[in-house]
Amino acid sequence: MHKARTVLDRVLVVAGVIALWQMASLSAGAYWVPAPWPVLKTLWAMAQSGALARHASYTFQAAAWGFLIGGLPGAVLPFILRRMPRLSAILDPYLVGGYGIPKLALAPLFILWFGIGIESKIAVVASVVFFLVFFNTTAGVRAIDPKLVQMARLVGASELLIARRVIWPSAVPFIFAGLRVSTPYAIGGAVIAELISSNRGLGYLVQLGAMNFKTVEVFAAILAITLIVIGANALVNGIERRLLRWRPANALNKDAASGGM
Amino acid sequence: MNAAAPLLEIDGLGKRFPSRDGRSMSPWVIQNLSFSVKDGEFVTIIGPSGAGKSTLLNMLAQTDAPSEGEIRFRGKPVREAGARLSPGLDCQIGYVFQDDTLLPWRTTIDNVLFPLEAQGRLDDASRARAETLMKAVGLNGFERYYPHELSGGMRKRAALIRTLVYDPPIILMDEPFGALDAQTRVQLQEDLLRLWEAGRKTILFITHDIAEAIALGDRTLVLSRAPTHIIGDHSIDIPRPRNLRDIYAVPQFAGLYETIRAQVQ
Amino acid sequence: MITTGRILLGLALLACWEWGHRVAGNLFVASPMEVVQRLREIVEDGSLWGHAASTLWITALGFAIGFFFGVLLPFLLDQSERATKAIEPAVLASMGIPKFALAPLLILWFGIGDAPKVVIIAFMTFYMIFISTFSGLRGVDHKLIVMAKIVGADPMKLARDVLWRSLQPYMFAGLKVALPRALSAAIVGEFLVADKGLGYMIEHARQMGDTTGVFTGIVVVTALVLGLNWLLERLQAKVMAWRPKDASVAH
Repeated sequence: MHKARTVLDRVLVVAGVIALWQMASLSAGAYWVPAPWPVLKTLWAMAQSGALARHASYTFQAAAWGFLIGGLPGAVLPFILRRMPRLSAILDPYLVGGYGIPKLALAPLFILWFGIGIESKIAVVASVVFFLVFFNTTAGVRAIDPKLVQMARLVGASELLIARRVIWPSAVPFIFAGLRVSTPYAIGGAVIAELISSNRGLGYLVQLGAMNFKTVEVFAAILAITLIVIGANALVNGIERRLLRWRPANALNKDAASGGM
Repeated sequence: MNAAAPLLEIDGLGKRFPSRDGRSMSPWVIQNLSFSVKDGEFVTIIGPSGAGKSTLLNMLAQTDAPSEGEIRFRGKPVREAGARLSPGLDCQIGYVFQDDTLLPWRTTIDNVLFPLEAQGRLDDASRARAETLMKAVGLNGFERYYPHELSGGMRKRAALIRTLVYDPPIILMDEPFGALDAQTRVQLQEDLLRLWEAGRKTILFITHDIAEAIALGDRTLVLSRAPTHIIGDHSIDIPRPRNLRDIYAVPQFAGLYETIRAQVQ
Repeated sequence: MITTGRILLGLALLACWEWGHRVAGNLFVASPMEVVQRLREIVEDGSLWGHAASTLWITALGFAIGFFFGVLLPFLLDQSERATKAIEPAVLASMGIPKFALAPLLILWFGIGDAPKVVIIAFMTFYMIFISTFSGLRGVDHKLIVMAKIVGADPMKLARDVLWRSLQPYMFAGLKVALPRALSAAIVGEFLVADKGLGYMIEHARQMGDTTGVFTGIVVVTALVLGLNWLLERLQAKVMAWRPKDASVAH
């Protein structure tokens, strides 16, 4: 009963948004605000001609490589630093500072170093993802109950076993949180780098439409990116839910950090 | 107003909640519960867990509406049928919760003064009263501390005098000393009795501890399991002032304890 | 020992920078000394202040707009459970909109003035503040509300002394994330479209092949964001002295 009403309400909200969009298009003119239907048709045409897949796969590649190159050390380093409290204390202010640096502002530097090809996009994504994963994993490693570790040590577990059986399972949710939060950033970071300077990718697609004054293409490209981000979020959330079924979750809090891009 | 009327009358009170899907009602939590309280009386209420004790107090405090029955204060119904609830009945009913519910961002003294501030009654006289109360429970010197810097017992004391400070005629207490260690608990019970004997407010005190119910009350009501109603009404004829630390040695104690325990099961 | 280590590491990083400069050459890594020199120049000729003021202005404006709506909407939604349920998924989904990708569109709409950047910053700020206010309102201890009503607090008193104070930690968590990000959004916005501002300064230098200019700009921007973080941290410590030290709202 309540559920059905909620679903109906939600459908109404979506319908309302589309109606508003249509109205905006009518009042501002289709050149400035293309109506929903032509945008969908353009998106479909892009998909059929293979242009969408080509540009999306370029963006995906940049995001995926950056994700790997930044995420892997971000997930591993905290486990190493756990064993070296002094080193981690020394590194701490630098890592906090690195976290605070606006990585996207480094894009011109990366373009300078790596050119306008995919490498500079990968660098942007990796620098963003590394810190997100690093700090989430560090939080996980720190959240481990020291009593559990002590207990394991008392019963004679080796350090390797402790790392594998005690620390790793407790940290997994946090690593996942880091990866999940990073997903939209990885895609967003790649898109932004492409916006600044590129000749391929979804960000370039937006830029191209704007340069040719084809707002309908701009809209279609933005819609495509939005759908891809939503899809990627849903995918990571789904994987996480499956793996970490035992943890309670709160939908809004989970997405809290992904509002930024 | 009828002078002979009890201060508070509860008549045929019943409560049940809407079920989760919102279409039907749950079984009765409380049904056909009646009792009355005289002015200045210290009534302790005891019952098995899950007996809807907090639900009862919430209805008395006007934070929850009864499904049936009536509550009368000084002979008058507290609420017209269908009217909005007025929590605390215009500051006539104080409520000391199970948790201390101190505002964590206020210092101890500011927490104690909060009701006066909210009621617009903050003046030199009320400030002095607050200070006297703080001193009476040994909180002097801790005025500028935040709740997280106080011990559990001190937070309870602060919560207690926060209610006493604005002098409501009736004070409801929902297992206020439940989570404390035995030593702190006795100290707080002594503080409470001393303050009560000085002011003779009407107190309704819920507890799950039979000894506490006997030690504190003029009268002990025993609640049944759900649907909750009153199955025992015992007059505690132990003279005051009472020595709480030796309450077990009072001749009436053992008999009362046995009778009440048999009823609580 | 640790402090010494930190200082040594800092010096080592500087040495790395200098070494990188010598190995990679002026085109890829600017010399630290030249960056300092350039910094002094733009401070002295005043061009730094002009750019910084422009960036800070659009940051403040966009942030204020985003903050206003980010606080307002959750309070409105708080009035109706049904409305919250109805639009929550739509709001969450709309977060997937790539804000910066709107820039070319906004430029078409509003021209190349401040408006496109302000809209982007407001947009980003809105989501971050919305989320923290929303979860903050849900996190208010219901018992404190009941207590305040019982002791006679009117709705104003309740809003000010209970709701607002309960929200503060969430607000700060939101602020600490949102404000530095608003600043970096301003800078990225200026990469995309501007004729002044710190982002323009960096991007212009890159297009001119002026590596020293890029490095100098990035140093300035980094210092600005880190300074802002530090300020917020201090402010939070001051305003929320009532909280136990270890409790914090994760963001």
